[in-house]
Parts: sequence; structure tokens; C-alpha cells
Amino acid sequence: MNDMTSPDHDRPPCTMACPILTDGREYIQLIAERKFEKAYAAIRGLNPLPRVCGRICTHPCEGACKRGQVDEPIAIAALKRFASDGPWRGRCKALQPAEPTGHKVAVIGSGPAGLAAAHDLALLGHHVTVFEALPVLGGMLRLGVPAYRLPKDVVDEEIEAICDLGVVMKTGVRIGEAMKLKDLFDQQYGAVFVAVGAHQERKLDIAGADAFEGVVSAISFLQRSNSGQNPKVGRQVAVIGGGNTAVDSARSALRWGADAVRILYRRSRDEMPAAPEEIEEAVAEGVHLSVLTSPVEVLGEDGKVTALRCMENRLGQPDANGRRSPDPMAGSEFVLDVDMVIAAIGQAPESSFFAQELELDQRSHRIVVNEAGATVCPGVFAGGDAVTGPATVIQAIAAGKERACAIDLYLKKKWHPVPGPARSDERERLSSAIIEKTRKFERAKKICLPMDRRLKGFEEVEAVLTEDRAISEALRCLHCFLGAKIDKDKCVSCLTCLRVCPLQIPRASKMGEITIDPFECQACGMCALECPVQAIDIDLHPRGDIDREMTAAMSRSAHPDPLMVGFFDLHGDFGPSDKERLRQEHPNILPVMVFGLRRIDTVDILKAFEWGAQVVFLAGCPVEKDPFPETREAVKQRMARTKTLLNALGLDGERLALCHMPKQGLVDKAFIEDLEERVKEMAPNPMGVKRG
Amino acid sequence: MITLEQKPFEEIEKMTKGCGRLLVLGCETCAAMSLAGGKKEAEVLAAAIRVARKMSGDKSEVLYDAVARQCEPEFIDMTEKEVAQCDAVLSLACGAGVQLLAERFPDKVILPGCNTTFLGVTERLGVWSERCAGCGNCILDKTAGLCPIARCSKQLLNGPCGGSVDGKCEISKEVDCVWQLIIDRLTKLNRLEMLEEIFPVKDWSPAGHGGPRKMVREDLES
Repeated sequence: MNDMTSPDHDRPPCTMACPILTDGREYIQLIAERKFEKAYAAIRGLNPLPRVCGRICTHPCEGACKRGQVDEPIAIAALKRFASDGPWRGRCKALQPAEPTGHKVAVIGSGPAGLAAAHDLALLGHHVTVFEALPVLGGMLRLGVPAYRLPKDVVDEEIEAICDLGVVMKTGVRIGEAMKLKDLFDQQYGAVFVAVGAHQERKLDIAGADAFEGVVSAISFLQRSNSGQNPKVGRQVAVIGGGNTAVDSARSALRWGADAVRILYRRSRDEMPAAPEEIEEAVAEGVHLSVLTSPVEVLGEDGKVTALRCMENRLGQPDANGRRSPDPMAGSEFVLDVDMVIAAIGQAPESSFFAQELELDQRSHRIVVNEAGATVCPGVFAGGDAVTGPATVIQAIAAGKERACAIDLYLKKKWHPVPGPARSDERERLSSAIIEKTRKFERAKKICLPMDRRLKGFEEVEAVLTEDRAISEALRCLHCFLGAKIDKDKCVSCLTCLRVCPLQIPRASKMGEITIDPFECQACGMCALECPVQAIDIDLHPRGDIDREMTAAMSRSAHPDPLMVGFFDLHGDFGPSDKERLRQEHPNILPVMVFGLRRIDTVDILKAFEWGAQVVFLAGCPVEKDPFPETREAVKQRMARTKTLLNALGLDGERLALCHMPKQGLVDKAFIEDLEERVKEMAPNPMGVKRG
Repeated sequence: MITLEQKPFEEIEKMTKGCGRLLVLGCETCAAMSLAGGKKEAEVLAAAIRVARKMSGDKSEVLYDAVARQCEPEFIDMTEKEVAQCDAVLSLACGAGVQLLAERFPDKVILPGCNTTFLGVTERLGVWSERCAGCGNCILDKTAGLCPIARCSKQLLNGPCGGSVDGKCEISKEVDCVWQLIIDRLTKLNRLEMLEEIFPVKDWSPAGHGGPRKMVREDLES
């Protein structure tokens, strides 16, 4: 239908930015439609750890989001959490594994990469055993990320769902020690996935670092803290490093009772690798940031650390990676009194166990793999932090999923490298005219635990979005690539689309060829409805959807008589409970939800009357919530035209009403009561109520 | 383009009443561009006729479709099977299309759903105005590109008449006096002297006054 030649061309920026190519639009749209369970199912179909990702994903999708060019990006991660945390997730049918293939696969490591691979391999019908060296499952999800960001019951639940697919989990088994990789093949495992993470911390390489008690590594500190053992913090704690591990350590130290916690980072705040919102929260909780500062010596007395000698830096020339080097300033030395130092200066894979069997990078200790994730040892694949060095949870999940595919092909003897999706970092830019015309809506504010409760323990800081906030947030989506698609064979170049588009997106060539940029289009639907030759359709509720929805609603309902069909704008401020209340209080109303009243055509209204409706009413959202308020006049005109037609049909135009939704809820009480009164006085619809 | 407007529904309902299985056939060129008779309008109209029939207990079916142009026999012939299944066709094309349909399907009832209005231009969405009367002998070179045949209420060739007041025609304050527009434009173009030439009496035979018109290109005729 459209002339897009590249299969990736209609993938939205959020998808292209996601390592596992999550289509954010899908569940965002379902949340906007108040179909929360379906939203969860859409997420869960691809992502085995949705509740984890809803909390700690670094959401590269948001960085790419088109709405970010207009005001602020959609809070995609928060919406994922909303859809995945709700009670409806329990009602969602679990994914079913394929028929058993008879192949056994060993996964080494139960972090996000291992779990994702185990999940996908189990779904493909393979028998999967996960070997975990530690006594607990989850890897960094359990021992690296503090509970105030990722409660451990969330990790438990998601692991449990993976176990339910038949995956066997063995804890306390370190492959590479007593049992070697080759031993696994002797035990009939057909393939192995090594996902041991990066748990080996880099040592603080300054004078005195090994000399005094009170200097600890962040990994061991967090492992203690996250497994509930008091890591015995000092009063004055210095955390060295600028990544998420440093920030997690600092915020945890505060929670264990440190009086003052200071992060020392050698470059500026802008260069800190930690997520900006994490840094913000840390500062809000009272963590001090000392940027452009490097420790040069640990000082101590009586075997205990007492201070750090530090130097101030200035940023020098960019290095090979484009990061400006921190150059110490002569004479800037100062001494910082501390009684604990937590070093969070990087991690490497704990890969020495595999030194005889796999190829390791000499300097970084990372496991060397080819582009399909295969190691030098046949049948052994590796991925996640063990291959890339410390990365994000979604990158680990992506590695797990990709390796699962590669292993599946390997086991089925269809071995060939798995080409990754073609990616481009180029972001399509909206023109300033479109940005200006696009209505701005404020991003959902996150809801955080009050400060006085935060530091008392490890209670989760950020709450899930409330239903109303999640819905409003989902409705901010600009529906990239879900807008108008023009069938050039049908188009007659009448220019109606150019004339009705509120954003003036369609373009015409001199020879009459019409193009509608699928990235710029925001799926208002005006052109699709007004096109006189039906050459345009829209992916966000395509033509015929309203009719299908009405048919479905009629077949679900108890065939109320007299029937009142109400079209409701999804942009109104209402939730599923309002729909339920409407059903109970006004059982005669058959609600049909639409993305804007502009999507309703005369044909839809006629069909409602054909179903036997006594009245049809259209409830528009409050104007302040309407993304296209400039189209409201066109809706009124269309309704006036339809009324004229109804009058001509002898059906009485008064049977069609246009109303505004209240600020909150679905219908204005006075309007609906008045309409119900009027219905009583009306002659019945001569067509009678049709059974669905 | 040829502009059209859909007939009032009451008229359509009356003419389609009792005519059995009906095909509402849109025309996807001028009728569609006039937003009066493309496939979309055919769908709406078919739905409305269906409702009207249901209300009166008439159970006969109403279908809809469209072709690119009903003024071409090849396109008309593509509807043959559909038309064969119907008792009547409500054409949403201009009068030319309706008649070609009638010619191609001599045993079917062919009905017009639109009124053919004029040869005109789109001023903006939903507004069209007449520009050409199809008189067969264009004089726009002499009238600054503004046609007095199509746009002067009296079709005067040597206007304006005494009814032109403040640039408006005496028939309505809404109607521009085209002769005023001609004079204004020639003045602007510095070509006002062109009006010194008096138009002789117009030969209306190419305009159809000499009987129905037909055009044959012998160099192309097959």
C-alpha cells in the first residue's frame, strides 16, 4: 500500500533505540485505550523481565522519542512499569513453550542475560538448566541493584515465571571449578551460554589503598547490603567513581546510617556515566558530589582509614572516545576526612575459571566471541557483561535473547551467524513548523517516597504511576508511523488531505503525487476520513475499526432497549472504573471508545442507528486535553451534515447529540439524564434493536 | 474540473424507492474532487438508503462501488458483473457519466445522484466557483484572463453594464462584476487600450447552440 521499501522504515524511534526492539507504541496505545491487561501481554510477549525493566531500564527509547523533540519524551519506562505492575498481570495467560526438542542447554549465570536466554530457549522447546555460582538467583538484579530501586520480590516473581516454563535453576554451582565446560557436554548438554556478568571489581590503585581497614569495593559492599547484611558503614563515607554502582553505593550507605556520603568523580557531572535521574535522586537524598576530584592517597591511623588525599582536576583534551581527560591541577591537593572508602571504579568479568577453555581478552578479561556470540569452543556461546563489560539490564536481556536465537539455530544444525537488526543512530528530526503546531502536554511527574521515609530503610523510592497519570501519559504518544498511509493507486490528487491536515503534513508534487511523511504524521485521522476516494487509511484504529468495535460491544452487551450508543473520546479523563460505573448506572448506553471524535464518520452513526439505537451521542474530551483542538469545528460540521441526513431519513436529527465530557469521568450527569428523559418520549427506532 | 453537488437525500430516496437491488456507483475524478460522489460519498449514501429502506420495510440490498471515471467506456465496462446483479444503478457521476452508464447498460434503470453544476475551480476546502462556460471559443486573451461568458450574469462581451455598482453585480452584492475585474486587471497590466476593440456579436454555434456537440480528431480516430 505505501511505497516504503525498507522493512525497518516504519519502525518508530523508540523501537529502533531499544536493544530488544520493543515497540513501545503498542503497549502505550493499549494503556491509552484503558486495555491494561493487553498492554501487559504485549510487553511480556517480548520481554521476560518487564517489571525489572519498568524500574531500572536506562530507557534509551525515551532518548529517541519523537515527543522529546516537541516537549519531553513519553515516560515509556514508567508506562511499562504501570502495565506490568498492575493486578491484571496475574490474569494474563502465561506464554507456552513449544513442543520439546530434546535438546539440553546449560546457562551459566542467572543475571538478566542468562534469564532472558533461559526464557527464550525454554519457549523454543529446549530443556534449560541455569547454573548459578552464588546461593541466590538474579545476579546483579539481586546483588547489584539496591532494593529501593528494585524490590527483590519483583525479581523473585519474574524468575519464578521463567521457572514455570520448565527451566531448572541450580544455585551454588560454579562452572569452571570442579565442573568444566566440557563436562557439560559429557552430560548431554548440546550448547552452553556463558553469562557470568562482570563481578570482578577493579582495585583502587593509589597509595594506601590496601593498607587500611575501611577501604572496600562497591561490589562487595552492595552484595552485603543487598543481601540484607549490615555492611557496617562509617560516619564519613567517600565513594569513588561516577557510574550507577557508585551512586547505588552512596545511596545505600546513607540508608545504613552514614552521616555524610560524598561521591568523588574525576570528571564533571555531565560526564558521569550514571543515569542522570539517579544522580538527581542521590543529591536530593543528601549525597554530596565532588566532581573534578581524584583521590591520590588513602591516609590512615592505627590500621584504619582516616582521610583521603585528593587533587582537583580540570578537563583537558578529548581522548579517543571523545571524553575529555581529567588533568590534575598542580597545587590543588586537599585532604578529606573519611572513615570509609567505597571504590566503584569499574568491574570486569570473573572469567579466570574459563581461561583454559575459552579465549579471554588479556587486558579486560572479557570473553571473546564472534559476531553471533559464539566462543572459540564449539557449542559455547557467551554474552552480557562477561563479553561487553558492565552494561545495562536491557543490553544484557538483548544479549540473552540474541544468543538464544543463535543457540537454537546451532542446535537445529542450521548454524549461521545471526545478523543483528540494521540500526542507524540517525534520528529523524521534526521540522520547526511541526514542533510549533504540535500541542504540548506535560510529562507525568513521578511519585516518590517522601524524603523522611526514604533513608529509614530500603523501601522502594519511586512508586508506580497512578492510573490517571499513566493514561494521560500514554495519550501523549505521537504515534510515529501509525498515521496516514496513502494508496497511490487510488489517490486522485484532489488535495483534500492537504486542506484538512491540522499540521499541514501532506505534500503534493507538481504532477499531483501526494506524500504523507509517516514520521511526521500524528495519526489525527482527518485525511483518512475526508479522503473522497478512500485512498488513505490510518494504522491507529484503521477504517472499519469503529464498526468492528460496535459489533463486538453489541455482542457482549445484554441488548439494552432502548439502546443509546455513545462515542467517547479516549482523551477524556476517565478510567476503567468509570466505564464500569457507566455500565451499572446507565446500562442502556453502549460505549464505543475512539481516538478523537474526528474519527467518527456519518457511516458509523448510521450503523449505530441500524443497530437499533434510539439516540447516538458523541462525547468529546475537554478542550484542554484535545491534541487537535483545531479539528473540533470540523466535527461539529460533520455532525450538522449528519443531522440533516437523519432528518431527511425521517429519523429526526434530534436523535444525534454532541456533548462534552466532564473534567473527570465519562459523562455529564445532567446531560445524560436529560437525554434519557428525551429517549422515553421518542418514538421507537423503526428498525428495532438488532441482536449482536 | 466539472463540479457536482449531491442531490438532496429526499430526492434520491424518492427516485430509488422500489427500484430493487441498487448499486450506488461513485466516480473517482471530478465527482470525488467535488466531495460529492467519490467512493466515500457512495458508502455514506448507500448506508443512508439502506437505513431508509429498512425503515420502510424494504429489504432489497444496497451496494456501493466506484470507478475512476464514468465518462470512459472501458471503466464502465469493468462494472458489468456488479451491475448485472442489480436492478438499478445510482450514479454519482456528472450527467455525462450517468448517460454513458445508461448507454452501456440499456436494460438497467440508471439514476443520477448528483447535479452537475459548472466548470470551476476550488477556492478552498468546500468552496468552488464557476470559471468556464465551455462556449467553444475562448477569448481570455482579450479579457485579461477573466471570462465574461462564465462570470458576467448577462454574458456581456462589451461590459460593464449600468448595473455594476462598486465593483459588484446588480444581481447580488456577493457577486463581483467581472467587467470591473477585467478593467482593474488590464489597468494593472497597462493594457487597458485592449478594450478599445469592440467585440463583434458572438457566434454561439460552438457553444452548443448549433445542436449537440461532437469532436472528432481524424488524426487519432480509430
